[in-house]
Amino acid sequence: MSTSSGPNAGSVLIIDLTRGKVVKREVSSETVKRYLGGRGFNSKALFDMVPGRIDPLSPENVLALGNGTFAGTVLPMTSRLHISTLSPLSGILGDGNAGGEFSAMLKFAGYEQIIVTGRAEKPKYVFIEDDEVEIRDAEELWGLTTGETVDWLRDEHGDEVSVAGIGPAGENLVRFATTMVDKYHSGARGSGAVWGSKNLKAIAVIGTKGVEPADPERFYEMAKEDIDYFNRNEFVKRIYSVIGTHYGLIQWYPSWKYFQAPLSAEELPVGLRPQDLAEYEVGRTQCFSCPLACKDVYYLPSTGEYGTSSEFESIYALGSNNCIIDTEAILRMEHMADEYGMDVMTLGDTIALARLLHEKGILSGEELEGLSLEWGDAEGQIQLIEMTAYRKGFGDKLAEGYRNFAKLYGDEALAYCYDVKGVNRGWYEVDFINGIFTLSHATSTRGADHLRGRSWAYWENDKLMDIEAVKRMLEAGLPDYRKDPVGALIYGERACTLADSLGRCKGSINSWLQAVPLVWKYPVFKGTAMLLTAFTGIEFTEKDVIDATDRIYLTEMAFNVKQGIKKKHYDVKFPPEFAATERAKAQVRRHWELVDEYLERRGCDVETAYPRRETLEELGIGYVADQIEEKEFPEWDGPVREVA
Amino acid sequence: MFVLAVIYENCTGCHLCELACSFKHHGVFDLSLSRITILTKPEVQTSVQVYCLQCQDAACERVCPVDAISRDKNGAYIINYDRCIGCRECAYACPFGAISFEVEARPIKCDLCEGEPECAAVCPHDAIVYMEEKKAARELKKAKAAGVAYGLYGGKETSEHPRKKAEEAVEYLLELVEKSGELDI
Repeated sequence: MSTSSGPNAGSVLIIDLTRGKVVKREVSSETVKRYLGGRGFNSKALFDMVPGRIDPLSPENVLALGNGTFAGTVLPMTSRLHISTLSPLSGILGDGNAGGEFSAMLKFAGYEQIIVTGRAEKPKYVFIEDDEVEIRDAEELWGLTTGETVDWLRDEHGDEVSVAGIGPAGENLVRFATTMVDKYHSGARGSGAVWGSKNLKAIAVIGTKGVEPADPERFYEMAKEDIDYFNRNEFVKRIYSVIGTHYGLIQWYPSWKYFQAPLSAEELPVGLRPQDLAEYEVGRTQCFSCPLACKDVYYLPSTGEYGTSSEFESIYALGSNNCIIDTEAILRMEHMADEYGMDVMTLGDTIALARLLHEKGILSGEELEGLSLEWGDAEGQIQLIEMTAYRKGFGDKLAEGYRNFAKLYGDEALAYCYDVKGVNRGWYEVDFINGIFTLSHATSTRGADHLRGRSWAYWENDKLMDIEAVKRMLEAGLPDYRKDPVGALIYGERACTLADSLGRCKGSINSWLQAVPLVWKYPVFKGTAMLLTAFTGIEFTEKDVIDATDRIYLTEMAFNVKQGIKKKHYDVKFPPEFAATERAKAQVRRHWELVDEYLERRGCDVETAYPRRETLEELGIGYVADQIEEKEFPEWDGPVREVA
Repeated sequence: MFVLAVIYENCTGCHLCELACSFKHHGVFDLSLSRITILTKPEVQTSVQVYCLQCQDAACERVCPVDAISRDKNGAYIINYDRCIGCRECAYACPFGAISFEVEARPIKCDLCEGEPECAAVCPHDAIVYMEEKKAARELKKAKAAGVAYGLYGGKETSEHPRKKAEEAVEYLLELVEKSGELDI
């Protein structure tokens, strides 16, 4: 019979690749209460283990893979694997999460987190089967695509195996290579190159144990209510489960021609409409324990390949932002990015930036060796994607990723680089949605990003799904972005930190209703506190949950302080033509006012943007203050490069 | 008579049924203790559902050397653990692999949860249904007919079906968006 492991019985696996050693460490109840799991565990591990200003590709960097607290349980959408590291793309915290079945399998094998340190001399992979953990030779695997890697490992260890690993892009240290789970689930741009730098190709896991809640009946009852909620919801049934994030093509204004024009539903060209993408759909799928099925499975007639998860982001970044409207070509590019293991957003945005720089004459024609950088050239882009994954020719420069790429062409090019802390997410006016949008990009602890706080803050998607629930959330104290954008954003950041730590998907549509369990019934974090109590047997109040998310967020801010992040890096970027206008200047002033208010309300120093000692001590993490007060950290300017 | 039917075209492979099943019977989330098993291969969107079909003339019942297997009022074949000697003969005889075992324990199989199957209760896409037999037969016919009509069984060729569904989704979305403009929060 299964040995049912309690929620706190899972251990942390520490894999030292330099010495080829594996150590297991227990997780205390105290750690669960203070950091929850997933992103919380990872962010703490990184702060504790990674020194400031090191080369992210050096053996000193740490790769952390964390399960959410509820991994492997019936609570829906809770099997995301959180991946964190010092990012070779940005030089600050780089984290993200991926779906698939890995996280559940890892939990069933009895682990909460894997921490990888050092560097192996030769390519390795790790095989985990419950209590057995082995570091094995991966020379045969090196060079394989993510799909081939998974197939190889399934042949070797059986079909049950779930795999996290990298493709050629990670091996070739492409700075926005990602960790790929079970072929198609991508997470944490930049992390792939860290696997590559450590000579680690993959981790394969089989878990056969069970997970038993502390209060089984209570936990199951609440989890089932949550499943029923999604199973009954009309919007889920008729929209998300049918077209997934393609719904955003109609509603989220995908950018056209390097962020020059957001496309409204009426302007959306044939080829980019949800129904055009559905032409290639052969089925739908999802991650472990998810009732939504937001992911399409598509078939490419021209190459005979199958792919999945052509998300909104891949379609705008690889497609419309490069003026490409050939549906099959976009799907093919998305599939290539998965096979090579690269983030589609940085890939697409970097190529679009290259096109713009070429058009402006900043990037000369010579180095292109006959390659075309014409807008809308799909065939050329397919070639560029391959060259990037293998760092061939001009692809070697694109592989540096967005801001690092722009830096190669000097200040003139950097003027068109709309990053925050080295990470791309387009540019927006501050006035858009009452300042939240640009503020959230500035305050994200992993650089400009749409999943760190803003989507939640203004319940754009929730309102279509369940307006009554939104009203209940507002009554329960969720700040209204129309009156209090900063308060709304802080709540949004808490929700995202919480979801990432619980292992809960932030939802195919980035909504409160999907990201925070039971928020539709017990707003705002009460339901989560009840679930945590029933599952872990540790008493959680709503305040405990909020404190945990703040503890995690401020630890992340402090981690970035050690990488040289200063107040000036909370800036907002505009295209040079717009930046020169009075309208833009007024918006920049408003942005800095909002940043000041944000820092004040987060308990940070408004001059330096460092978390204040009192705030950290109140959260019980005074040791974080000791470390950031210890010395001056040289100012951040992208990732440190020491390794040749 | 109610039957548990699986409309495999609807299954997306989320494994919620397995978690619910193992919980209902053992109070734990453990795939190996589920009486229904979903074998998934997401890249080609096929899930195979391994579960007890409660055969009319059941091999498990016939081979049991101690007559421990019998049918209850819901039509479920139930193992009487007072009689069961743990020989696993039933598991080997089942043509579908629907009976699980571990050497140290007795075999386990679907008992229809005394007429309220938990797997059907949590299934998000109506892939597992528990309904009156004639109705179930009709649902199956409808699912198959839709599959044929929309070319679901054409193998690699993409079908009209997803496009049609996507068009409906977009239409509904636009309707809602228009309405939500007037929604006051």
